[in-house]
Amino acid sequence: MLRRVLAWAAAALIGVALGVGSAWATLEFGRAGFIEHYGSWAHSRAAGSQAAGPYTRAIIARDGLLALSAREALYFTLYEDEEGRPLDESCVYDLSGPPLAARWWSVTLYDADNYLVRNNDHAGSIDASRIGLDSMWSVRVSPVRGNAPHWLSSRAAGRDFSLTLRVYNPHRDFRASAETLPRLTTLSCAGEA
Amino acid sequence: MGWDKYVFGALLIAAVTHIACIYAAPRLMMNVAIERVGGESYNSWRLAERVSPASRQIVRPSPDFAYSACAYDLSAGPVTISAAPWSSYWSLSLYAANSDNYYVIDDREAEYGAGLTLIRRGARRPDGAAMIVESPSERGIALIRRLAPSPAEYRAAAETARRDVCASLASLAG
Repeated sequence: MLRRVLAWAAAALIGVALGVGSAWATLEFGRAGFIEHYGSWAHSRAAGSQAAGPYTRAIIARDGLLALSAREALYFTLYEDEEGRPLDESCVYDLSGPPLAARWWSVTLYDADNYLVRNNDHAGSIDASRIGLDSMWSVRVSPVRGNAPHWLSSRAAGRDFSLTLRVYNPHRDFRASAETLPRLTTLSCAGEA
Repeated sequence: MGWDKYVFGALLIAAVTHIACIYAAPRLMMNVAIERVGGESYNSWRLAERVSPASRQIVRPSPDFAYSACAYDLSAGPVTISAAPWSSYWSLSLYAANSDNYYVIDDREAEYGAGLTLIRRGARRPDGAAMIVESPSERGIALIRRLAPSPAEYRAAAETARRDVCASLASLAG
């Protein structure tokens, strides 16, 4: 009798563990199906999109709870430089690009923990209202500003920080591609010859 | 020994648990958000402090916006929601308890601000309400985003936000 009870308890435990594990794995690996890449930029179609079913809804909630719909805003994130290396505070980068076919845009630098970097430079985000919407633009991403007209501070960001581009009210002719999105170039890294 | 029934039982429990987790995940996440926004007072706007490196409640916050959120509760009847106009981009979004963004309006469509009466789906429509939106759930979140990249613009947005309304019609009538 005891043996049967123990066997059922073990079966229940294994069942719950399998169920939770497979649900987690579905959300974790299912995300990949929503990620599109444009050059080094990653774009999740899940953020702000309409749910088509329980799986889609769970992935959307995990990736973009309370996000705006794609009609309102598109989100692109950069985790690596042009050589595929993690973004690093010890490097100086140039982020530049053509005008974006949108009403407004911004680029924000996030720490590896997905929050704004803990520094007091007040240079964690740059947007079209300061740069302009109609011409080629360029932003320095570095721990110190130097002589850069536009600057995103990576001071205290360490390694594995990221950049998120938000494109608001994209025009009908906006097409995301490696050519239309800004390009990141590594200018130098500390310790390099 | 007949292990088949235990294996079958474990697989059945795994399938039920899997479906329950997938179904519950967005609702749990939204419930946490609703509780955080609502706190002690539902059906009222709360303006979030300007986003800074100290902001640690929601991941990847945008420092360019002034956010106002209202956790609504339709258990006592319809709720009236309005958003005062803003000089730059703004939008009003409604999210159901299962996380669906079921309504959004921005300044291109509502240059002079937005006003609506929120009712539970299928509930009786209040007389005289011009714009009625049906919520799929009894509780949810209304969110206003106002573009305000600078401290001065945030202060101006905060002033504008004082004119927003999120209130139960029953409380207004009382």
